[in-house]
Amino acid sequence: MSHYSHYPDYDVLSLINEWDDHTKEIVLKRLGPFPEPQFLEEKEVKMLRLIAKHLCYENRDDIIDWIIYFLDQRLKSNIGEHQRKSSLPQEKILIREGLKATDEATAQKYGKNFISAEIKEQFEILSSMQQGKAPMIPRWDSILQKELFDKLLDIMISAYYSHPTIWSEIGYGGPAYPRGYYRIELGWTDPWEPRRPGADKK
Amino acid sequence: MENKDPVQHNCDHYDGHRYKDMKHRKYGDKEVDVCIVGVGASGGVLVYELSKAGLDVVAIEAGPFWNPQSDFASDELHSYSLAWQDTRLSDGKDAIKFGHNNSGRGVGGGTVHFTAVFYRFHENDFRVKSTDGVAEDWPISYYDLEPYYQKIENDIKVSGPKELPWGTFRGPYPYPVREPISANSQIFREGCEILGVRSSVVPLAILSAPYDGRPPCTNRGFCNEGCMPNAKFTTLIQHVPKAIQHGAEILTDSMVTRLLTDKNGKVTAVEFVHDGQLYRQKAKVVIVSAFSVESPRLLLNSATSQYPYGLANRSGLVGKNLMVHSGHDVFAKFNEEIRLYKGTPVMAYTQEFYASEPSRGFVRGYTLNAHGNRPVALAKNLAVDGGYWGKGLRDVMLDFNFYAQVSLVGEVLPREDNFISLSNEKDEYGLPRPLINFSYSENDNKLIKDAVQKANDILSARGGKPAFVIPDSGHVMGTCRMGLDPEKSVVNSFCQSHDIPNLFICDSSVFVTSSGCNPTETVMAIAARTADYLIDKMRQGPI
Ligand SMILES: Cc1cc2nc3c(=O)[nH]c(=O)nc-3n(C[C@H](O)[C@H](O)[C@H](O)COP(=O)(O)OP(=O)(O)OC[C@H]3O[C@@H](n4cnc5c(N)ncnc54)[C@H](O)[C@@H]3O)c2cc1C
Ligand code: SF4
Repeated sequence: MSHYSHYPDYDVLSLINEWDDHTKEIVLKRLGPFPEPQFLEEKEVKMLRLIAKHLCYENRDDIIDWIIYFLDQRLKSNIGEHQRKSSLPQEKILIREGLKATDEATAQKYGKNFISAEIKEQFEILSSMQQGKAPMIPRWDSILQKELFDKLLDIMISAYYSHPTIWSEIGYGGPAYPRGYYRIELGWTDPWEPRRPGADKK
Repeated sequence: MENKDPVQHNCDHYDGHRYKDMKHRKYGDKEVDVCIVGVGASGGVLVYELSKAGLDVVAIEAGPFWNPQSDFASDELHSYSLAWQDTRLSDGKDAIKFGHNNSGRGVGGGTVHFTAVFYRFHENDFRVKSTDGVAEDWPISYYDLEPYYQKIENDIKVSGPKELPWGTFRGPYPYPVREPISANSQIFREGCEILGVRSSVVPLAILSAPYDGRPPCTNRGFCNEGCMPNAKFTTLIQHVPKAIQHGAEILTDSMVTRLLTDKNGKVTAVEFVHDGQLYRQKAKVVIVSAFSVESPRLLLNSATSQYPYGLANRSGLVGKNLMVHSGHDVFAKFNEEIRLYKGTPVMAYTQEFYASEPSRGFVRGYTLNAHGNRPVALAKNLAVDGGYWGKGLRDVMLDFNFYAQVSLVGEVLPREDNFISLSNEKDEYGLPRPLINFSYSENDNKLIKDAVQKANDILSARGGKPAFVIPDSGHVMGTCRMGLDPEKSVVNSFCQSHDIPNLFICDSSVFVTSSGCNPTETVMAIAARTADYLIDKMRQGPI
């Protein structure tokens, strides 16, 4: 997995002393260390780590740790899930049952469970779920595979793109209070913003 | 014990008093003149205007009394906590996404994390049936709202151009237009100019100069995460503190679960839950301002043997004719860096395609807003709505800074097939969760297609390469519409319910049609007009 970036010299965390305390505290917590999962079980965590690697195209364990922590916190809490199709179970159940279904579908096709499957096989299973075409098993009757895929994607991608390492790689300026931006016109940057090597200093 | 700092999330607030429990309520068992349910865009205006006129007012809000400094952060993920996160069941071909996307919670309601694009409707928005032969006409005209639009703009010092090229109102705005504009807005305006399409800088409920102890905007771009410097207007910082000075009481973290009626059929009180405990507030008049989902839900949940189908529902239309704005996001990739994260998210727009145009094959029209974005929102939309993941998504996101975005605000026609009703599933209060059903009509879809094409034309003209289009929607409206005929509408032109004279519904749910632009200035103008009506009526005697 390549980590090519337009901004190899940029580290958003080097700006942290310019951020307000509340934001600082929130962002730093994403770097760990994280407590043990409270909702997810060991086997679920193993599967979810692999799934996160595929969905986010990411191999770095510290970033996966944060994604799992975020997911666990969310599933543990009773705050709502904003919206849900009336035909679907609650997200806690969707994910827990969905992982069992994913394992069963992998076994159906490859004769092994998801964790023991080759990376390519895991990828095939996930891609087929996105299209609603995973190997047929009875559990898909109550767990809609595309909805499961989208739910995992939604939560994992939200966490992934909230990690400061990823902000640095994509060249996101990050939190900007109290400082704000002054040079917002096309082609202009404030002195602390990410710049490509060799770019004009405008 | 008295505590003046709202940081503590006190639940009872009135002049000189802040409490963490319900033991010191200003009115307690007494009947107040007006009780308002929900302190968002409309509720904020109502509590301010009515208390200023000397009425005894209590406003009850489900969420907290936010403190921008300690509750907001410059962070997308954190900002979900500002939204109405409670699960709503959402079905239909174009099932609506709720939460942060369209629903606020806590004092300020949706204004806390809205984008602050602040448009007046056009004259013909109120006469869709007369001009286009579809939907219904409003019982009011643009000119009924005109003085209230002006009042709201002046109260909050909207910054905007001296002159506008379209619409009934052509400027000027009370505060100077925002300058400079962001790169994304610049690109958009240049594309428009190449095509001969007129564009303008946007009128914003964001300060361009200091006002009322608040500073001008610093372009940090986090309007959808809550404005920490208070440059952006919200009813939380603008109307509610003044209402408290005028004597209003605000009860927060208090969910209204039922409206109570007597044997004469009039509303007498509201019931609310705070910290698991049930309380009551008696009132001569109740105004429901809880947004287009919770307002009809509360009316339906308050059914009695006298009103078996819910309050104010003789027409059967409570919950019906739910509308959104189609809000597709159109992206193009450029060779230069646009940096969507910088500056107030929306700073340029065009309404060149706003009015009906027979040759297009559909009625009504849309606004195109040049729209900023941030990593989580963009990646999530690309993933869940665009189907991107894995390497594909990662590659797009590595080029994050090279994309420009235009977002559509498209008129959606009202239809009874789009509705909110009560489901069989219960929430934490034991109340049925709302079930929402929504699909676009053929006209809506044709309009979307046209708008996406126009947005791509504009970005391409400026040298962008069309990249992707992400289906999205914004703003929920309708569900308790206003009208003259009690059989075909829920409230009259002053938001007073046809069935129960001392029950008002005043928020985005009274919209008859959606218009093709952002709705909140109209929500607030309607609220100011309703306040005037009530003040006048209550001076004359009981309602
Ligand atoms: C991300 C986003 C961007 C937006 N951008 C724009 C924009 O740029 N321009 C624009 O014009 N509009 C915009 N809007 C829309 C705008 O926020 C709404 O139009 C406006 O807030 C609606 O006002 P309202 O009074 O109907 O409801 P709200 O402002 O939502 O207020 C309703 C209040 O009632 C409370 N409530 C609900 N049920 C209960 C209950 N049972 N008991 C007690 N309290 C209750 C809620 O907690 C909430 O605080 C945006 C919205 C969002 C979410
Ligand atoms: S861009 Fe301006 S108005 Fe928006 S959050 Fe930042 S300072 Fe506030």
